[in-house]
Amino acid sequence: MRQLLKYSFSICFLLSLLFVQAQEKTTTTTVEQGVKITEQKSTAPTKKTPEKKLDSTKTEPPKPKMDRYGLIVGVDINKVARSFYDSNYKGIAFTGDYRFSKKNYLYAELGSESITVEDPLLTTTTKGSYLKFGLNRNLYTNWLDMENLITIGVRGGFSTFNEELKNYRIYNPNPYFGPSELIDSGVTHNGLTASWAEVSAGINVKVFNNVYVGFSLQVKALITNSEPTDFENLYIPGFNRTYDGNFGAGFNYTIAYFIPIYKKKVVPVEVKKVSKAPTNGAVKTVPRQ
Amino acid sequence: MKKIIAFFIIILGFASSSCEPDDICDPTTPTTPRMLIKFYDISNPSVQKNVTNLKVIGEGMSEGVVLNPSAVDDTKYLANGNNILLPLKTDADIVKYKFILNYGNKNPLLVNTDNLEFHYTRENLYVSRACGYKTIFTLDPTKQFILTDNTPADELWMQYVIVAQNNITYENETIIKIFF
Repeated sequence: MRQLLKYSFSICFLLSLLFVQAQEKTTTTTVEQGVKITEQKSTAPTKKTPEKKLDSTKTEPPKPKMDRYGLIVGVDINKVARSFYDSNYKGIAFTGDYRFSKKNYLYAELGSESITVEDPLLTTTTKGSYLKFGLNRNLYTNWLDMENLITIGVRGGFSTFNEELKNYRIYNPNPYFGPSELIDSGVTHNGLTASWAEVSAGINVKVFNNVYVGFSLQVKALITNSEPTDFENLYIPGFNRTYDGNFGAGFNYTIAYFIPIYKKKVVPVEVKKVSKAPTNGAVKTVPRQ
Repeated sequence: MKKIIAFFIIILGFASSSCEPDDICDPTTPTTPRMLIKFYDISNPSVQKNVTNLKVIGEGMSEGVVLNPSAVDDTKYLANGNNILLPLKTDADIVKYKFILNYGNKNPLLVNTDNLEFHYTRENLYVSRACGYKTIFTLDPTKQFILTDNTPADELWMQYVIVAQNNITYENETIIKIFF
């Protein structure tokens, strides 16, 4: 029953990876269990970087694996695409992931948005920029030379923006004299700020040399919100629309490039523990999970 | 196990990223108010008096104000209680109404029409995203109302009209008292 559950979740992950669609066949099979290991070993030599070829190419006890550390810089394609098909939206966001330990990354996102929100009774335009900063943790155990990420993270976000009320209608529950007319207003509230915390889950997959494609979903909660006098912030850049309850959700789809900075040798301390617990991909035995 | 958690967070995120609370303006939220008018007995000024078949028609309108929403057909325009709620114009600073007492009575001598004209200033206030803006009114302190008789004159059935409160913000506050 447990095996069945494991396989079903692995299959679901496989399906979600299909969003990316640029995966080579060998890498998709790593999601499933040890059955496919022999297939990988035969293709492994072709995936190794030149440095690794200096080591002996004969099969022998574990070669020292090198983890590449660096900065993954990306752009949020979701926002850029929306700027094209949504005439009320213009925005872009840049993301950066800096690996500072084996599984932990520092995350930063900088973006700017300009959006016109058309509610039934109000139309407002919000323009501003935001900055997010936080930590991501890679939950995925990469085998061989793969450098894929399944991350969960927490971050804090901060935004400064201004909001303009374009026009509105008076809400009259008793329109005896006829429906309310649209009233034009150009009132702009400047210097508004807001901050929030969010948790995110995402996938970032290396599709080919140093190029990553990934997406992430975030659930956010507002911390501070400067309300303009006689109005409220209907949209906060980086946070999405605001409703009663101070919660929001967001979605990023990024294309990123990995800039390697240095390499670290993976210390094979886990060799002795092979019989007891599953380890990272440095040890080429069948992991028992 | 971690895979399962990450997977569920992703799916939850997908599901909630298109979530939008159904914003409906709660009917109990105070929005643009109507004006509450109460009727009193002229011979006993502290006692409220019921009108009979009162119909109120705004200037330029063909139908009367719905004063009795629970009734059907034409009886919904007739009031037989001791108070009525009249809507004010949100796009003008003046509103004129015809007050027709004993409307539809077979004896035409009993049907009496008086005209009341109200002057006020307006202010638009923000309520919420779902309710948008509301208008509150303040009766002009120098020229609150003008009471005139109908042409042809049939005497005023409203013997005395007084303003109880200038600010029209809520529908449960009496603004005008009419004694007849």
